[in-house]
Formats: sequence, C-alpha cells, structure tokens
Amino acid sequence: MKSCLIWGAVLIGAYVLQSGFFPLLAYHGISVDLLLLSVMSFGLLKGSKSGVLMGFMAGVLQDAASGTFFGMNIFSKMIIGYLCGSVANRVFKEQFFLPICATVFATLMNYFILAVIVLLLGYRFNLIVHLRLVLLPMLLYNIVFAFPVHTLFCWLCEKVKEK
Amino acid sequence: MSRVRRDRDSSRKIWIVVVVAVSVFCLIFFAARGRFTVPLSSRLVTTVMAPFQGVTSWVGNQIQYVSSNVWEIITVHRQNKMLRNEVEQLRVQNSQANEFASENARLRMLLGYKQAARQFDLVVGRVIGREAATWTSMIIIDRGTNDGVNKDMAVVTEQGLVGNVVEAYTSSSKVELLLDPRSAVGTIVQRAESRVAGIVEGNPGDEMTPRMVNISRNADIVEGDEIVTSGFGGIYPKGIAVGKVKAIENDEGGLLKYAVLTTAVDFQKLEDIAVIVNSREAPPTPLTPPVQTPGTESSVNPDDTAALGAEGATK
Repeated sequence: MKSCLIWGAVLIGAYVLQSGFFPLLAYHGISVDLLLLSVMSFGLLKGSKSGVLMGFMAGVLQDAASGTFFGMNIFSKMIIGYLCGSVANRVFKEQFFLPICATVFATLMNYFILAVIVLLLGYRFNLIVHLRLVLLPMLLYNIVFAFPVHTLFCWLCEKVKEK
Repeated sequence: MSRVRRDRDSSRKIWIVVVVAVSVFCLIFFAARGRFTVPLSSRLVTTVMAPFQGVTSWVGNQIQYVSSNVWEIITVHRQNKMLRNEVEQLRVQNSQANEFASENARLRMLLGYKQAARQFDLVVGRVIGREAATWTSMIIIDRGTNDGVNKDMAVVTEQGLVGNVVEAYTSSSKVELLLDPRSAVGTIVQRAESRVAGIVEGNPGDEMTPRMVNISRNADIVEGDEIVTSGFGGIYPKGIAVGKVKAIENDEGGLLKYAVLTTAVDFQKLEDIAVIVNSREAPPTPLTPPVQTPGTESSVNPDDTAALGAEGATK
C-alpha cells in the first residue's frame, strides 16, 4: 500500500513537472513525455503486470488532466507498459543502452498508436510534416531524459524494496 | 504441475490485458462521440493538480529568470563588443547614406538647371581637386577634352558662374575661379534701368568677395543689384548670374568706383559643376495672348498673330 502511494506520488510529480516546468524548455510546444518514460522504466523494472497498471494510472492522470480524448493515453500507455514489462526478465536492467533503445521504441509506439486513433476518429493531418514537427523533437527530448529517469526509477525501486 | 498453472495464469493475464485494451479502445470512441463522460474526473484532477502545477511553474519561471540573467551577464561582454561593431558599421552606413542624399539633391538641382538652360549644351562634372595656393583660386574637374571640354569654356552651377577652363587635359581640366585675381569677367547690372557694365575680378585681399571695377562715379548702381555676365569677350555667355552688390566703394584714383560683390555661387561648397561646351541665343518666350474683356473676344488665332507680326516687321 505504501509503495502504491509512493509510486502514485512519483507519477503525480512527473505529471506536474511535465506540465508545469518542462514547457519552459519546449521546442514548438513539444517537450519531454515524463509519464511515458516513467511507464517504460517501471515496466522494464517491475514486469508486465505492474507496467500495465502504471500505464493505466499514468494514462488516466494524463487524459483526465489534459482534457484530450479520454482513454487515448490510457490505451497507448497500457500497451507500452505491458510490452516493456514483458521483456523485463530478458534484459540487463541497469545497462546504459536499455532505456535509450526502449525510449525510441516507446516513443514511436506511443506516437503511432495515438496517430492511428486520431485518424480513426476522423481527423486528418500531414504525416510527414507532423513527423518532423512533433515526433522528431519528442524523440530527441525523450532520449536525452531516458537514462536519468531510468536511473531514478532504479534507485526508487531499491529504496521501496528496502522499506 | 506448477508450469501448467503458470502458463494458465499467463494466458489469463494476456486475456485480461486484451479485454481491458479493447474496452479502453471502445471507450475512446464513446468518449470522443460524447456518449461517455467520466464523472467529475477532469474537474477533480485539474483542481487537485492546479496548486502543484502553479508552484512548479513558478519555480520553473524563477529558474529561467535567474538562468537567463546569468547567461546575459556571461554574454554581455561579447554582446557589447558586437553592438559596438554594429554601431560603427551603422555610423559608416549612415554617413554614406547622408552623402548619397546630399549628392542626389545637388545633382537634381544641376539637372533642373540643365533642363531650364536650353540655350547651353552642358557637360556635368565633379570637382576632384582644389589647387592649394594662397593667392589663386583654381579647381580641377573630372571632365576633359574626351568629354568635349576645351580651354576658355565657361563653368557654371545652377546658382551662377564659377569660372572658366584654363587648361584642358584628356580627362580632367583646370578651372580658374571667378575669385582668382587673374580672372576678369565682363558683366552688367541686371536691373533694366541701369545696365551699367563693368569687369568683375578677384580680390586678392578678400578671396570670397570679388569686385566689379571700372564703374564711373555717377553710374546707376546700388547695393542689392544683381550682376550678370554681359557676353562681351566671348568666353562667358550673356546672362549668367555672377553675384549681388554688397557695397559700393570709391576707387583710390577718385574718378571711378567699384562694387564689392557677394558671389551667386557658394564657393565653399563647390562639388558638382557644369561646363558650357556650346551656347546659342536663348529661344524667345512664346507669346501668350492678353486676357480679353468678356464679350469683346476676337477670333484671331495665333498663326494670324504671327503673320501680322511678320508683316509689321517688313513695313
């Protein structure tokens, strides 16, 4: 229960930073997706069940707070949490390239899931332009923050386990 | 046994995930079409998050403010250097622009004169040097024999007479100014009642005020009279402004007097000039019929008037 509260607080902290602080560093309105990185790292460290749960919580928080199509982020983050969690037992968790590679995968996955949903909802956009303006900066931001976030999550996992 | 159970658990988990994912997927479309709303969720989350977001945003803004100030301090020296450089460049540009504007104004005036003085064929030139001598006043212009300029041609500006060409080379010429003591210009008073003739020559005592000499004591000349070239002598065409009478003085001999002139041309600011390479009689101004009293208008056309004039002249 206590660990749930801690992870909940971490999630809220990540969202607060993502919406309150990182817009100051935004490029064309795009900044790092800390919730996605949190879900990814949590999934990699704790497995698919926890990954799905974390994805669900992060998605609910994001959808409810941002006022986007409800369920969109829940859906994408759940899938990413599950997929990251499903490889948790097959990777070295503290390796440098793990969060980097996982971030590239998670960001692309998240982007394309959301893009498909938006298309299915009947909205059209120029994919090439959108890739350049949205996906590329987001990918770069996420790659830069991937390792620090993953290291922080490793450290938190140790701390929570000790307690 | 345990492996079978684990497999069953795993497949059950996958099924749960699939069901949840499909449900959420459907939820998205219901929510987007407005058929499903999560009660209080958005308002609740936003209300709870707002204070935290406010604090984070404030902290972020403060960090950004401090860091931008620090960065400005770090870069201020380099920026200062760049700005100084830019100021220098802009000053040079500004100076050049002023120079061009002033040149443009001068050339416009000269062009206006060239168009107005149709009796003269002018070659426009530029002063490229002034002879550095104390007692004489010469300038060098950038027009020479290649441009049709020859010795003894008059040099003017739109304001009046400058001098005459004394030496012409292929692409430059020396011009003796009106102010030179060696120069002598035949002039007359422009006022119709006066028409007193005299010679304007340079004043070695005061370079900027030439004198009109050889005027008899009782000649009708007063201060303020306009002095123009008389056309005598062949170098200077008739009617070019020379200056204005500033003062009348008695000559030392007692029989004559002389007039001290203010030149029409400002010799201190002489930059662009025109050489008169050819001159002819000024065309007569076209006749304009007088205003006729209403009711007494005659229907004589201008051709008839010209014919009558010619007839009168024959008689």
